[in-house]
Amino acid sequence: MNAPKPALPPVLQLEKVTRRRAGRTAVRDLDLSLQRGQVLGLLGVNGAGKSTTLAMIAGALRPDGGSILLQGQDFLEQPELARQAIGWLPEAAPLWPELTVCEHLEAHGRLRGMPRADLTRARDAILERLELKDISRRLAGVLSQGQRQRLGLACALLHRPALLVLDEPANALDPVQVVALRSLLRELAANGTAVILSTHQLAEVTAVCDRVAILHEGTLRYDAPLPADQHAALEKTFFDIAMAGRAQAA
Amino acid sequence: MTLLAVTRLELRRLLVRPLGWIIAALALAELGWRFALLLQIFLLNQVRLAALPDGPGYTDLVAVRMDSSFITGSPLPFGVIELALLVVPLLTMSTLASERSAGTLPLLFASGLSSAQILLGKYLAVLIWLALWLLLALAIPVSLAHGATLDWGKLAAATLGTFLALAVLGAIGVACSAFASHPAVAAVAALMLGLALNCINLGAQMAGVSNGFLNWLAMSTHQETLLRGLVSSADIVWFLLAIAVALALGVRRLAADRERG
Repeated sequence: MNAPKPALPPVLQLEKVTRRRAGRTAVRDLDLSLQRGQVLGLLGVNGAGKSTTLAMIAGALRPDGGSILLQGQDFLEQPELARQAIGWLPEAAPLWPELTVCEHLEAHGRLRGMPRADLTRARDAILERLELKDISRRLAGVLSQGQRQRLGLACALLHRPALLVLDEPANALDPVQVVALRSLLRELAANGTAVILSTHQLAEVTAVCDRVAILHEGTLRYDAPLPADQHAALEKTFFDIAMAGRAQAA
Repeated sequence: MTLLAVTRLELRRLLVRPLGWIIAALALAELGWRFALLLQIFLLNQVRLAALPDGPGYTDLVAVRMDSSFITGSPLPFGVIELALLVVPLLTMSTLASERSAGTLPLLFASGLSSAQILLGKYLAVLIWLALWLLLALAIPVSLAHGATLDWGKLAAATLGTFLALAVLGAIGVACSAFASHPAVAAVAALMLGLALNCINLGAQMAGVSNGFLNWLAMSTHQETLLRGLVSSADIVWFLLAIAVALALGVRRLAADRERG
């Protein structure tokens, strides 16, 4: 008889993560975990701590307390783990304006330590997948907002990360591109990639996420699988939390 | 190696920006003009100089004088070092300040690179650019090597001194860029620091003091020895120390950025 396989550790596990910013606590004692193939929607009003949380998960910002485990390993101790395992699209897709689309992908691949042959293959595939091939020689500085966003996404996906961290990925995309993005995210999840996305669009969450977490004033107020009746129930939960917070503040 | 990936990225950025090419072209044009004038002065005095025992030759009066007016006492303006005081800040101002203003610095942090790797990678790119620029500047006097007697040892020492001075100015420029939010602020700060470091001992020299702390602190003191053809380990250590201090401050600032967010 075969011995049962040991359970795989979650792709991402946050334990008591805290971060102070500009004299206030932006994120407080955040516990969160994400399994392979899960798509988590991170919701919250402006200033709730979503972008800070994502920047910490991506390794761009160090938490003041707590730990972040990536595939069971503490990546605060080994920041190089982020190089292979995480793809990050920050809000507004920052780019180097003097480099072309192709050069961006090559630079990101090299920064992630990809071998040359893999990089060329992955670059061509992602250019094709995100419909960037026609503008591959164009400078990033002259791209439209939607093209910038797609290039940022391509850079995040290039090295086939186990965890994809997206901050407002549908920003500036037209409706056709939004549908394509949803389909891409579902495809990645089906292939085992864990995705965490922050958005203000509840429709975005109901369309692609199988779990939702709501942050408010830096604390996790809600974390559950997406309700069965989806949009209406999520909208009600979100507004209950947001309005309760405002009433308390008033 | 990811440090080299940062170097490659920075070199690419330097090469595609017109500023680097314009600076290099203008600086080389000025150096060409300077060379023609130095050569003319040398040719006018050649007969008189030939009569002197151990009189200065082509290396002293033309090749080494290409490096600096200030140190060699040449009446003509702008040797490599004087140009570098302006050229290097313009070249280095964008290395980190523009990453910060464009929001791309967090992308580098997120790729698992340490602050030291990011800064050293960028510094290496600046150093490669400056070395190429110096090689082109050096090629001007060396182009007459077949018709003149060059003191290769002296020229090598002078070139080493000039390269080390460029390396110090580059390190200061990259460190200023790490501290500044805008490239222009970084350029002005690097220019001021470079000028101060080069001539902080002027007052002391005018007062007749030539061995005090201010003289030790000034870059020109250490460069002067090398331009005379003397390679002293004390001078080399000074240059390496200055580079290390500037880069360490830059790394510290980047690390603080990562902590602060």
